[in-house]
Amino acid sequence: MRVSTQGSFLKGLTAMQRLQVALDRTQQQVSTGRRVLKPSDDPIAASRSVDLRESIGRLSQFDRNAGIATNRLAQQESALTSVNDVLQRVRELALQANNASQSNESRGQIEVELRQLLDNLVQLANQKDGSGRFMFAGTLDQTAPVTRSAGGFEYNGDQSRRLIQIGENRQVADGDPGADVFFRIRNGNGIFSLSAADTNLGSGTLTTGSVVDPTAWTPDQYTVTFTAPDTYEVRDSGAALVATGAWQPGDNVVFNGIEFGIQGEPAAGDEFVVARSANQDIFSTVEQLADAVGMSVSDDAGQARMANGINAALLNIDQAIGNIVDIRTQVGSRLAVIEKQVDTNGAFSLTLQETLAGIEDLDYAEALSRLSLEVTTLEAAQQSFLRTQQLSLFNLL
Amino acid sequence: MTDLLNVSLTGMRAFERALQVTGHNIANANTPGYSRQVAEFTTRGGLGSGNGFVGSGTQIATVKRMYDAILGEQLRTSSSSLARFETVAGLAGRVDSLLADPSTGLNDGLRSFFNSVQDVANDPASIPTRQVLLGEAEGLADRFRALDARLSDMEGEVNSRVRLAVDDINRLASSIADINDQIAQTAGIGQPPNDLLDERDRLVLALSEQVSVSTVPQDDGSLNIFIGSGQSLVIGSEARMLGVEGGEFDPTQSVVTYVGVGGNTPLDNSLTGGNLGGLLDFRANLLQPARQSLGQTALVFAESFNEQHMSGMDLRGNLGGALFSIGGPESLYSSSNTGTGTASATVSDATSFTGADYLLSFDGAAYTLTRSDTGQTIPMSGSGTALDPFVADGLSIEVGGAPAAGDQVLIRSGAGIASSIRTVIDDPQAIAMAAPTRSSSSLDNTGNAEITPVRTVDSSNPNLLDPAVIEFTGPSTYTINGAGAFTYTDGDPIVVNGSEVTISGTPAVGDQFTIEANYGASGDNSNGLTLAGIQAVGTLDGGTVSINENYGRLVSGVGGATRQAQANVEAQGVLLSNAQDEVFAVSAVNLDEEAANLLRFQQAYQAVAQVVSVASTLFDTLLAATRR
Repeated sequence: MRVSTQGSFLKGLTAMQRLQVALDRTQQQVSTGRRVLKPSDDPIAASRSVDLRESIGRLSQFDRNAGIATNRLAQQESALTSVNDVLQRVRELALQANNASQSNESRGQIEVELRQLLDNLVQLANQKDGSGRFMFAGTLDQTAPVTRSAGGFEYNGDQSRRLIQIGENRQVADGDPGADVFFRIRNGNGIFSLSAADTNLGSGTLTTGSVVDPTAWTPDQYTVTFTAPDTYEVRDSGAALVATGAWQPGDNVVFNGIEFGIQGEPAAGDEFVVARSANQDIFSTVEQLADAVGMSVSDDAGQARMANGINAALLNIDQAIGNIVDIRTQVGSRLAVIEKQVDTNGAFSLTLQETLAGIEDLDYAEALSRLSLEVTTLEAAQQSFLRTQQLSLFNLL
Repeated sequence: MTDLLNVSLTGMRAFERALQVTGHNIANANTPGYSRQVAEFTTRGGLGSGNGFVGSGTQIATVKRMYDAILGEQLRTSSSSLARFETVAGLAGRVDSLLADPSTGLNDGLRSFFNSVQDVANDPASIPTRQVLLGEAEGLADRFRALDARLSDMEGEVNSRVRLAVDDINRLASSIADINDQIAQTAGIGQPPNDLLDERDRLVLALSEQVSVSTVPQDDGSLNIFIGSGQSLVIGSEARMLGVEGGEFDPTQSVVTYVGVGGNTPLDNSLTGGNLGGLLDFRANLLQPARQSLGQTALVFAESFNEQHMSGMDLRGNLGGALFSIGGPESLYSSSNTGTGTASATVSDATSFTGADYLLSFDGAAYTLTRSDTGQTIPMSGSGTALDPFVADGLSIEVGGAPAAGDQVLIRSGAGIASSIRTVIDDPQAIAMAAPTRSSSSLDNTGNAEITPVRTVDSSNPNLLDPAVIEFTGPSTYTINGAGAFTYTDGDPIVVNGSEVTISGTPAVGDQFTIEANYGASGDNSNGLTLAGIQAVGTLDGGTVSINENYGRLVSGVGGATRQAQANVEAQGVLLSNAQDEVFAVSAVNLDEEAANLLRFQQAYQAVAQVVSVASTLFDTLLAATRR
C-alpha cells in the first residue's frame, strides 16, 4: 500500500488527538472521583442513580420526620408522667381522708391541697409544646383544650391525631388528643358505677361492685331501695321491678349478673343507684373527691355519705390512672416503632448508598492504571510521530 | 542526424513536462482535495524504412489524475454520516447536560419541594415553614420554565442553523454548476481538466457534509447531483435552489423546501445525512419529544398537586385553591386550511395525558385524530360539542366553526406548556394542609363504637362543610341529621356530604358521632401527608409512573440518544478515516516518491541531452570528412 505524506501526518495527528481525549476523560474521572460524568456516559447508570438519590433523599426526610415525632412523643410522655404523679398524690390524699381518725379540720386541709392539685392538672392539660401550641388539643392546637364551666369541665379541642410519615408506608401519631387522655374515661368499675342517695339515713357504705355473669348484665340505671333494713328491691329506669332480696350485714346485693357489698347498716328507705358506666373526665373526678373530702361530718349518715363519695372518686381515680398508663404504653410502643423504623431506614439507606457508589464511583486502581497506560501511549505516539516526520528524501538530496 | 536531434528533443520536452508535473505535485502536497498527477509517457510512432521501423522519440500522452471514483463515493458517504452524527451528538450532549445538571435539572427541585411539603406536614401551624414551601414551589416553577426556555432557545438555534445549512447547500450547488460548465467547455480538448475535477470533488464532498447526495456523471464530464428522494440539485450547469419556509402549522419552525416549477415542496422528511439531516433529526426526534415530555411532567405535576390541594382546608378555614397555574394545549391551524373550523383542547385526565402532538383532520364528514410522532390513529369518543367533547388520550377537544374537507389542526398538547407554570398563592396561610372535615364521637357515648378520621371522597360536594350528626337509634340503626333510619354494619364505610368515615364496634342507643368542618385545626396535616405522597405516587401513564420517574425517563432517554449519537460519531469516525486512508493511498502526494521522480526525470533529461551531444559529434565528424 502506498503511504501518502499528508495521510501519515494526519493519521499521527488523529491518533494523538484521540489519546488526548481519552486522557482528558480519565483525568476528569480521577479528579472528581466519579465514573459517570454525564448521563450519556452511561444512561442506565444515570437513571438508576437518579432513582437511588431520590430514595436516599426520601429516607433522610423520613429520618427528620421521625426525629420530630420522637421529640413530640417525648414531650407528651413527660407531661403524662407529671399527670400520673399528680394523680398518685390525689389517690394518697383520698386514702388519707378516708381514714376515720380524720377530723373535719384535717380533711379541710386535704381538700385545699386537692383543689390545688386540680388546678395543677388543668394546667398540665393546657400545657403548650415548644412551639407554643397546646399539646392536648388534638389539631385545634391554638385553643386551650380544657376550660371550667358551670356544668363542670369542657373539652374544646378536637379528636384528631396528627400522623407523621416515618417510612414509605408507615405513619405514626405524634400525640394524643386531650379527649382520649383526660375525658374519655369510664367511671365506676368500667361496666357500672355505684352511688348512694344523699338522702340516705342509714350508715350503709358501698364496696366495689363486680360483674359475676356478663351475659345476664343489661346496661341500664337501677335503683336499689331498702324497703326495710333487711330487705331490698331493685327497679330499673322504667320503675319495673327487677329483683327483690333479703339482706343482712356481710351480704352482697346480687341481681342481673352483678353484685356489690354494703357495709354498715342501711335504713329503711335508703336508696343506692347502679348506673351503666359513662365517661367522666379526670378533673370532675378530682373535684368530686374534693367535694366529698370537704363535707362536714356530724353523724353516721354523714360519715357514710362522705365515705361513699370518696370511694366512688377513688374508683374513678384508679380508672384515670389506668387510662394514663395505657396512653403512656401506647406512646412507648410508638417510640419503639419509630426507633425500629429509623433503624430500617438507616439500613436501607446504607444499602442504597452502596449501590449508588457502585454505580457512580470510580474504581481508582483501575482508573490510575488506565491513566498511566494512556500517558505512556501518548508519549510513544508523540515520539514516533516526530521520528517519522523527520524522514524525508529531500533531506538527503 | 536531424532525426537524432529531433528524437532527443522530444525526450527533453517530455522530461521537462514530467518535471513540471512532479513540481506541481510537490507544490500541492498539502492542498486539500488535491489528487496527485502522473505524466504518462508513450513512444512516438516509428518511421518505416527499408530496414524496418525506427522510433522517433517519446511523448506525454496525458497527465493522469490519480483518483478512484468508488473510493471518492465512499468518502462522501462516510463524511455525510459523520457530519450528521456530530451535529446530533453535539446538540444532544447539551440537552443531556442541561437536564441532568443538579443546578438546572428538575430532580433537586422536585426533591426539595416535596421535602418542604413534608416539613409543613410535620408542623402545619408554622408560618415560616409554610413560607419555605411557597419559596420552594416558586423555585420549582422557575426550574420548569427555565428548562423549557433553554430547550426553546435550542429550537430557535436549530431553526437558524437549518437556514445557514440551506444557504451553504445553495452556494455549493451553484459553484458545482459553474465548474460543470467549465469542465463541459474543455470537453473538446480531449484531455481531462484534472484540477477542475479536483475542485469539483472537493465541493461535492463539502456538500455531502451538509446533506447526503447521490451523483450521476454525464458524458460531457459534468456531474449531476440529487438529494432527498431524488430531487435534482445540480443538472449540468444549472443549480436548483432549496428554500426555507415557516412550517405549515408553526410559522416559527424552519422547514426546508424544494423550489420546483410547480411550487415549493417540503423536503424535511426525505433529507437525511449531513449536518442538515442531523439538525432535522435532532429537532424532530430528540428536542421536540423532550419538550413534550417536560410539558407532560409539568402539567401532571401541577394538576395533581392542585387537585389534592383543593381538597384540603387552609389555616383560614377555606378550602384550598390551586397552588400552580399552567397553560393548556395549543391549537395550530394549517396554513392551507380553507374552512373556518376551530378546535380547542383541554386536558381532562392527567393520568392518560401524553404531551404529544396530534393532528386533527376533517375529511368533510368526520374528524380523525392522529398522533404525530407515531402516526397512529387515536380513537375518539364523544361528538366534539362543548357538552360532549371528543375525548382521547386524556384530552377533551371541542370543535366549532365550519371546517372544509381536508382542513387540519395540529394540537400541540405538551410542548412548551412547561414555560407557563407559575405559583398563584403567595399567602402562607392559604396552603391547605388540613382535611376539610373532621370526625368525633360524643364524650357522652356509652357504647364502645369508634369512628375513623374522615377521608374526603368528594371535595366538590356543595354540602361538604355542613355538620352532620350520626345518631344511633337502635343497636343497628342510625340517623344522619335526623333523617332516615340506616342500617349499621360494623366496619362499613358511611359517606356523608363527600366525607367518608367508618364506625366500628358496638354503639349504644343515643350514641352520637359528628362530622363537621375542620375549622381552626391548625395542627392538622391530613391533606399535607397526601400532598407529600404525590411525589412517589403514580400519576402518569394510567397511574403507573410517578412524576420523578417520568422525568427520569426523559433524562435517560436523552442520555441514551446522546450516547448512541456519540457511539455513531466514533464508529463513523473510524469508517471515515479508513475511507480517507484509502483515498490518500491512491490520490495523495508522497514527497519521497516525488523526490525520487525528480531524480529520475532529471537523470533522464541529462541522458537525452547526451544524445544531442552525440548528434553534434556525428555532425562534426561528417563535416570534417567532407572538408578534405
